[in-house]
Parts: sequence; C-alpha cells; structure tokens
Amino acid sequence: MPAITLHAAEEEHSPHSLIPFLHSQPQTLLTRLYQRPSACLSIFRLLAPLQQQIIMNLLWLEAAISSTTMSAWVVRDARKKVTSSTSYDTALSALFKLHILSTANLTKLVLNSTFKTSLRQALTGGGATGSFGVPAEPDDKHPPMSVEALDGYALERWETILHYMVSSGTGQGSIQPSKDVLFLLKQSGLMASGTNQITSEGFQFLLQSPHAQLWQLLLEYLRMAEARSMDLVEVLSFLFMLSTMELGREYSTAEGANAGTTSQAQMQTQKAMLADLRDYGLVWTRKSNVKRFHPTRLATTLTSTSPPLPSSAGPGAGPKEGFIVLETNYRVYAYTDNPLQTAVLNLFVSLKYRFPNLVVGSITRESVKKALASGISAEQIISYLIAHAHPQMRKNNPLLPVTVQDQIRLWELERNRLKSSEGYLYTDFSSEADYQLVLNYAKQMDLVIWESSAKRCFFASTEGHPRIKAFIERRTAEAGSADGYP
Amino acid sequence: MDVEETKASHLSVVLDLSPAHWELSARDQPHNTHPLSLASFLSQLLAFLNAHIACRDENTLAVFGAFPKKSVMLYSSTEPPTNWVSSDTTGNAYPPFNAVDSTVVQRISAELERLESPEGEEVPPSALVGALTKALCYVNRISLPPNPNSKAQANGFHPGVLPDPRILILSVSPDLSTSYIPIMNSIFSAQKLKATIDVCQVYGHNSVFLQQAAHLTGGSYILLERRDALLQYLMMSFLPPPSIRKTLSVPTQDQVDFRAACFCHKKIVDIGFVCSVCLSIYCTPLPVCTTCRTKFPMKTLTRLKAAQPLLLGVAGGVMTNGGNKGTTTNGGR
Repeated sequence: MPAITLHAAEEEHSPHSLIPFLHSQPQTLLTRLYQRPSACLSIFRLLAPLQQQIIMNLLWLEAAISSTTMSAWVVRDARKKVTSSTSYDTALSALFKLHILSTANLTKLVLNSTFKTSLRQALTGGGATGSFGVPAEPDDKHPPMSVEALDGYALERWETILHYMVSSGTGQGSIQPSKDVLFLLKQSGLMASGTNQITSEGFQFLLQSPHAQLWQLLLEYLRMAEARSMDLVEVLSFLFMLSTMELGREYSTAEGANAGTTSQAQMQTQKAMLADLRDYGLVWTRKSNVKRFHPTRLATTLTSTSPPLPSSAGPGAGPKEGFIVLETNYRVYAYTDNPLQTAVLNLFVSLKYRFPNLVVGSITRESVKKALASGISAEQIISYLIAHAHPQMRKNNPLLPVTVQDQIRLWELERNRLKSSEGYLYTDFSSEADYQLVLNYAKQMDLVIWESSAKRCFFASTEGHPRIKAFIERRTAEAGSADGYP
Repeated sequence: MDVEETKASHLSVVLDLSPAHWELSARDQPHNTHPLSLASFLSQLLAFLNAHIACRDENTLAVFGAFPKKSVMLYSSTEPPTNWVSSDTTGNAYPPFNAVDSTVVQRISAELERLESPEGEEVPPSALVGALTKALCYVNRISLPPNPNSKAQANGFHPGVLPDPRILILSVSPDLSTSYIPIMNSIFSAQKLKATIDVCQVYGHNSVFLQQAAHLTGGSYILLERRDALLQYLMMSFLPPPSIRKTLSVPTQDQVDFRAACFCHKKIVDIGFVCSVCLSIYCTPLPVCTTCRTKFPMKTLTRLKAAQPLLLGVAGGVMTNGGNKGTTTNGGR
C-alpha cells in the first residue's frame, strides 16, 4: 500500500500557488495577458510537466486535433489504467480552466490562438513586443551593479521584513520595513492589524521556503492591486517580465525605453510597482534615476526553483545551504550568526549558548509547546529542520533522528487529546430493547460517536439526527405506544 | 518537497553534421520526397532546444556536433560561453534562448567553414561515436554529486538533484560497421548511467546500431519519413522526460534489428560465432579467440566447420576469405 500512495503523491503534485489565482480570473483578462510572450513563457513554466507536454504537442499544429486522437497517446497500461487516464484528464481540465485550451468545442483540442502565437514567438524569438525587458543603454557615469551587490541588497531587504515579523512577537525592537510592506503584511493576515503582532499564519509563513514566502506576498500584492484599481494585466506581465530577465543587467522602464508607444496608465502602473518591488527587494533602482532598474535574484528566480536568496552567511563562510545539526539527544547546533535564522530557531528551540558562528540549543517539550501554541504545526517544524539540515546531516538516513521526529509529533498529539464534535444525546429509553433497537439502527448508519449501555444513552452526530428521529417516530407509530424520546 | 516531485532533466543532443549527407538530404530527388536542408533543420532544432529549456529553468542542455573526423561540444548550459554578450537590445527574446541559438549556430558555421579548406576527394565519415562518447562523459560528470568546494554549487546546482539524463542522437549518415564495438560500449555505459538514448534518423535508411542503442536504453527510435514535420516529431517524441513517458507514450520500435558486426572484419553478420569466454563475435569459427586467447577444442571446431556450408546459404556468403591469419591484428579491441 505505501508504494501506491507514494506513486499517487508523485503524480498529483500541487500546482503552483499562482495557478489558482489565475483560474479565478476572467477569460478576457487572461487573453490580454497571453498577448505577452514573456507572460506565456512564465505561466508555461509554472505548469505541471504533463500539462507542458500537452501544450507542446499542440503548439505547432495549425488545425484542431480531435480529443480521441490525442488521448490515444495516453498509456493505457492495464495496471495503471486509472491513474494515467485520470492524471491526463486533470491536466486537460486545468488547461481548460486557464483558457490555454480553447473551450469552444470539447471534442476538438486546440490552443488559445493568442497563447499559441505568443508562446511560439517566445520560443523562436522575433516579434516586436519587447516583453522580455528592454536593456538600458550603458551609462558611463554609473557602472551597473555587480551581482554580489544586488544579492546583498535583496537579502537585506527580505531579511528586514522577516526579522521584523519575528521580533514583533518577542517585543524586541527592530528596523521597521516601509509602510507599504507593513500594510501588505497586515492585509495578508500575517500580522495582526491592531497590535502589530505576528499571527499564527505569520509563524507558519516564517518556516516556509523563501520561494513560497515570496509568492505568498506577491499573491497578496496582486489581490491588493485589484483593490487599488491597478491594471492586473500590467501588474502580472511586469512580474513575469522580471522573472525572465537576466541577473546583473540594467533595464530601462517603460517610460525610459519608448515613451511614444506606451500608454500613460502603463507607465503609472510600472512606476508604482517599481517603488513597491523596491521595498520587497525584487528590484534595485538608483534613487535619483528611476528610468532604469536592476532585477535582483528574488525577481529572476520567480518561475524557477533555484534558491531565490544567496546564502545568508558571508561569501565563503561555511556551506551554502543547511546549517542545522540535530542530534538524537534533542540537541540542536546551528552554524549561523544570522539574527533572522537565530530568531526563527528561537520559535521552537530553547537556545542555550551563542558563539560567533554557532548557536546551541535543545528541542524541549516546553519549546515545542510554545511553538504549537503560536500556530506552528509539528510537520512545519520537521520540514524546516529537513530543509535547513547541515550537509553533514545529509549522510544520515533518515535525515533527522527518528526519535526526535516522533517526539515532536507526539507533543503535537498531546494537544489534541480532546476532540469535539457536534451531535445529539439520546437518553431516557424506557426499555433495554428499545435502546438496543435504536442504537443498532444508528450503528448501521455509522452515526454513533459514543455510547453507554449502563446509562442507556448514546451520542450521535448532528447529520444523523433527522434520520434517527424519523426512525424512532416510525417505531412509535408502529408500536402504538410511547417508547423513547430523544 | 516540490523539488523531488518535478525534477529538472538533462538533455544532451548529438548532431550528425556530415556535410555530404546534408547535401544529399537537401536535394530534391525523386526518392527524396521531402528535402530538408541543414538551415531549416537547424531552425527547427533550435525551437526544440528552446522548448526544453522553457519547461524548467533548471533543465540543463548540452549540444555536441559530429563533424567528419572530429567531434565538438557546441554548447553546454552548465558552462555558458563567457565571451557571449547579448546583442539584443529590443527585449524581444528570452536571453537564455538567445544564448543557445546564437552560440550553436556560430560554432557550427565556424566548424563547417574550417572543413571547407582541405577538401579531399573522399569525405571521411562523421565522428558520431566520438560525439556520443563525449556526451556520455558529460552526463557522467554532471550526474556526480558536485564537490562542496567546487564552484558548481554557486550556479544553483543542488547536490542530490540528479538531472534525468537523456541523449538524443540526430543522425543522417548510414551505419559504419567499424563503429559497432564503440557504439556497443557506449550503450553499456549509458545503461550504467541510467541514461536514455533517443534516436532520430533524419535521413537515409534504418540504422541497425542506433536502433539497438535506443532499444537497449529504453529510448525511442524514429526513422523520419515526413521530414517536413520534423519539429512535431521532435516535440512529441523526444521532449517528454521519462516521467512523462509513463503517461503520454512515445513511439517505440516494434521490430529491432539485432544484428551484430563481427570483430574480425567489421561486417554485419546474420549468423556469427561467439567465443564462450569473452563473447567476442566472429564470422567464421576460429581455433583461438583473438580477444582473450582462449583455445577451443578441435572437436567443436570441426563440428562448426562442418555446419558452416549449411549456414553459408543463410548468411549470404559473408565468410568468403575469412583466413585465420589475417584476423589476429584486428580482433584485439
């Protein structure tokens, strides 16, 4: 059985967090978005591999292809018949929802013509949309920023945000990010709006990968953009353009590039976005000169899974990824001097010693309970430890000591000893026979939550109440005498 | 866990760039119903390469070219050309695509120009095996977990994320019987590396050896009939990584020509004689195996010799002048 569940998990990996947002958008908006080759390419990247392959199969066909011809390519292995055909069907329906596949005629498969033209253009180059960003003319006075400097800038910005969130709970003061960032954090429910305190969603947010964090904030930004009456197509296509840009190059804004062809509204949107994204560390601009900007690594890795942030330790200091060593005696050694990482660890580890490049602590019942109380789940703690495990730990199999993993889960279960469920209590049965009769009926329906034959009463779920009531009433009517009432 | 579920994949493309055969392929002849020139082949190939990179940012790509007597690495995404500067200032193309396209085209035209000068009367065959071997070495290198001290990690190359290696051979030249042994050796190393070899014979007849290469490594083999639809073939059959092929099938061969070439005369034989110790193949029974020096008993030899005229009828006169003396030098591979 485990093998089968594993296989299923592999097949149906959850789609990117942006995809559901795009699903909810109207077709006209998506079609406008698909006019940009860069947007098509970025969306294509976010899709599941099977969906990508279906698009590629259809991309170079001029005529529509009947869906039966296409499904003839699906492997119909006797053993995997169900899984392969269903995953193919879900892939198709996902593409229909994104309006990448035309919905006009369900027996024929054909790509949305706008999408087809744009993706073809993206793959073969050409066209004159300039959607991949117009590089700025070299400027002699200001040489372009180096990649290291950009990384440093992005890291500083991003960690300011995260560090502010962590320290808000502990009451220590830290540098405040800009007002817009604060507003965004409150809007997304990561910070409580009244008290400026981190919420339990905020704690969960902290333990996610930087990539997931980034998209969560950007999604909130997109929702806000609607409210701010910014053109969503412009916002999205600017983000997608950023994601296809080259790190370490300077680009000119719509205003600087070709002021003649871009509309006033477009320029306004871009200007506002540049200011916002500057706060998040996605782009870097020289203050005096906003006609040109540098995308940072945060922006250029939006549609990939490569790490969006460089190592937080200085260059050459220690391994690039992973700094936590966890021992079977619950001791945690974290090779870091980054205040943010220390603060995040402090959420579920009781820290003991701090050295210039090493923090030592241990996972205790109290520290984990504290984390659980603030809304962090055991799975999140474990996945954080796995994601940041020291390369030395990677030699172990399993990666984390099983005892510690199990104990963290058990501590979580301790909190869940009481389970509440709504229902009705049936008491005062006049005879044992009546009690058994009703109880058996309820048991057959799988409605009983608790029973006590000594007290001659039982507790059944809310959904079942009408049926049980009807059953009792029917019985009383048949017997002609009052038997038992709930 | 997202990384595990959708792994990056690696694709090495081996291009057979024999000018003579491309010239034949471009000619509009009665037996050649769909002429395909090198230029239009390349433009379709580049779209395919771009599609591979488009699928995931982490997908890696390497392109090898097999020229007459020479094989060259044309492009590799792990070591991007350092001197390449984007000349595009209009923002109409995705920079990585631009880099691949211009590098591959530039390198190919430079190599072909260099070929032109020593134009001999007979064009040597293209070094397909050399290019294939280079591709295998490259796959081997990137499959190894990178050294923590090396710079590989700086390029966003995770240890433990093994790209799904695939090799695509686009061949135009016919089989060279002398390359049987090196191709078989390449197949074995590909199997060991768990690399899939896909083969597309763009021009000419079925290639016996490449057919076996695709079959033995679980790849797909296509003899291109409609050359005007090359891009569609490439996209449907060679783009999906192995994980997708479980759901969307790719064309496989229903008949594979398993014939081998003998070690002594490098001829493709229908019936051969196999050394029971080292499995070397000969077209005629030998008293001593030239590879491992095993002596065979006289009794077996006479029996095989006796059976030979019978077999000759089937084999079509393969063993005409198979003298034992002449074989010792060639068989030592």
